[in-house]
Amino acid sequence: MRNPITDVFFSDSQAYKEKHIMQLLKKLSVITVSSTLAACFVQAAEPTPENWFNAGHQAVIDAMHLNPNERHAKNVILFIGDGMGISTITASRIYDGQQKGGLGEENSLSFEKLPYLALSKTYSVDQQTPDSAPTMTAIVTGVKTIGDSVSVNQFVVHSEPSANLVNANKLTTILEQAKEHDLSVGVVSTARITHATPAATYAHTANRDWEGDSDLPAGATVADIAAQLVDFNINGGIDVALGGGRTRFIPKTATDPEYGVAGKRKDGRDLTAEWVNKHSNAQYVWNKAQFDAIDPNTTDHLLGLFEPSHVHYEADRVAHDKAGEPSLTEMTTKAIDILKKNSNGYFLMVEGGRIDHAHHSGNAYRALTDTQQLSAAVQAAMEKTNSEDTLIIVTADHSHVFTIGGYPQRGNPILGLTQGVGATEPDLDMLGLPYTTLNYANGTGYTGNSNLQPAGSKSFKSAAGAWTSGSEGHNPASFLSAVGRPLLNNALVQSPDYLQEVVIPLGAETHAAEDVAIFARGPKAHLFHGVMEQNVIYHVMAEALGFAEQHDAEEHDEAHEGN
Amino acid sequence: MKISGFLKLVFGLGFFCFSIPGLADSTSNIDQQWTEIACRYEIEVIPHAKSKASSNNAWFFWRKPGMIQTQDADGRYGEIWERTSNGSIQYRKLYHADRTAVEYMPADMPTNNISFDWIKLSSMLNQQELNALNIVKKTQVFGRSAELRKGKTDNQTIEVLWLTADNLPASIVKKDKTSSVELRLVEIAPLSAARKKPADVEEIANYRHIDAVDFGDMENDPFVKKVMNAEEHHH
Ligand SMILES: [Zn+2]
Repeated sequence: MRNPITDVFFSDSQAYKEKHIMQLLKKLSVITVSSTLAACFVQAAEPTPENWFNAGHQAVIDAMHLNPNERHAKNVILFIGDGMGISTITASRIYDGQQKGGLGEENSLSFEKLPYLALSKTYSVDQQTPDSAPTMTAIVTGVKTIGDSVSVNQFVVHSEPSANLVNANKLTTILEQAKEHDLSVGVVSTARITHATPAATYAHTANRDWEGDSDLPAGATVADIAAQLVDFNINGGIDVALGGGRTRFIPKTATDPEYGVAGKRKDGRDLTAEWVNKHSNAQYVWNKAQFDAIDPNTTDHLLGLFEPSHVHYEADRVAHDKAGEPSLTEMTTKAIDILKKNSNGYFLMVEGGRIDHAHHSGNAYRALTDTQQLSAAVQAAMEKTNSEDTLIIVTADHSHVFTIGGYPQRGNPILGLTQGVGATEPDLDMLGLPYTTLNYANGTGYTGNSNLQPAGSKSFKSAAGAWTSGSEGHNPASFLSAVGRPLLNNALVQSPDYLQEVVIPLGAETHAAEDVAIFARGPKAHLFHGVMEQNVIYHVMAEALGFAEQHDAEEHDEAHEGN
Repeated sequence: MKISGFLKLVFGLGFFCFSIPGLADSTSNIDQQWTEIACRYEIEVIPHAKSKASSNNAWFFWRKPGMIQTQDADGRYGEIWERTSNGSIQYRKLYHADRTAVEYMPADMPTNNISFDWIKLSSMLNQQELNALNIVKKTQVFGRSAELRKGKTDNQTIEVLWLTADNLPASIVKKDKTSSVELRLVEIAPLSAARKKPADVEEIANYRHIDAVDFGDMENDPFVKKVMNAEEHHH
């Protein structure tokens, strides 16, 4: 299929080409003009009406040639953008397109090109707006549960300390089933590897915050999440686990190799050493050099923990990490290279875990750049796998209160002030003040005086020279009422640390309740259609991997025995 | 008001705006030489308008090599900064009454561009801030040598009584159109002889630890609910 955007360069009309190219160039900054000219017409320009029509028609022809892949999947890769609502995807698509020198709107993130799409209803058994624990539980077990619960059913009360009660009500995950069927399994995240989303694939607990043994209340018999990861015993254990969260794997008496802070385990266990000892051909790595040195052909079990807590935002990773850490894309490709050695196939979960954190901090820039990185990881996975035998799913656990508003003209910088079609100055609100296209309904960017930053626009970083620390992001404990709105300018709002304005002041921006998207390609991907309950995602994966048929057969046998 | 809140009020919001990246790494020697000390300070905010009540707060400050700790007078809340074995600085907010520490991962400090200037942490003012003030008098307080330093901008005046051997302020007074804010040292002693000692680091290690980044996902946690909704309400 020809690209309608580049088609203009193949147009017969020289005048038409010139006009559109000039229009395009006007919208680009002075800095990008020279590189655009140097790129000499590989630069995007607007399609003609004919291009639009033809491209639209071509899309239908392509759709008519779309053949559902009815085969069973050998491999399943499940990508989760934590908190990656549809507005986040749209804004990231535009940001990514503008970074590439285009107007932006016409761009597609890698996973937006997948052929099948459905909407996912994310509510949990007890929450209209859910958190990551019950939503990921629904995705990987096929059963909705209550808030904060990790792969246990709704009958386990929150913070249930009894291992017996948790075990009696645990929900089998797709990862566990994959292991039982002799597939290899991996978990990759930019969050702590014990955080709710990755945890739901391999652990069972009624409190998502019980990530290390020091998080457990006295007398609790349920194992902490880090221990459940390393003690996972089905068929030789988990094959690949890459992410953050080091301190919950090392004892209090040991110090972190990168920062020197103390470990958090009270039980004295060094789970990183245990990982290496209990698994065959196992390695533990904590920095990029060690990670790069791992040969997938000779390593069968890889644990990589690259930060004491979550790994860096992609926007900060290269510039600021002391020891160096791999990107989500690098972790994904290394995981696939290890897992694909199993001829029975594999299940891999990859989470862009910090999209959610950036949103909670009210910082659109880091949310968009982490989404961009998730898109790169999906692209790498698509290139490393075959759609004939590998089901790739990209979805989110829930959304955020993040909006794209106003009437900005085509190509308006997505992080910028809203400027209408044909306007030479930003649009003004009814107070006579400019405003941004991206905003949050609630959160920390409220412009009243907070206990951490003065009245006016808020920043992700604390003021230079302040005696105390700030925090990661702006985590205020209190606000005063804002008076009017601050006077914004494009340099301020497009800076990476700007926090978009919010209506309702809160200590952290919140999740949102609207549906999220499910993108898919590969075997049984066509079973995603329409508006679905989130727990259907599991059932499509189980169907694709042939587990569902087996389940049906077992139920049938049981019914027979009962007769 | 917390000590950090006070210093931000005095220095963070425009009177001086210094950032000295990288300084923290070159200060360990100075750190070793400085005296281990325990101080009690009081902060008073006095509005010029007679209709408004003044507010008064006391808190403790402790310094020893590799560690700075502060605590409110009632012992409920504190802050701790520690230099780790490899030169990183670990910062935690301490909610003693809840036996909970909120941690700010060292990994995230560069992300935040938090200028963890160890000298400034250890002495509240750094050399550049002091240099911006003129020495007007040499004197004695608490039996120690001190310098009275003064400075002025369009909007405010600032006066610092500086203990030269201890590298700490005996007082900081900032006045602007609406109020004067005063920090005064009320007790000073070697750490070993201090009436009140800092919280034990081993004890703090047993507190529940929460990464500040996770607050957004802990909306149902009773502790997080409390600190996000109740701390320092101004209205
Ligand atoms: Zn969240």
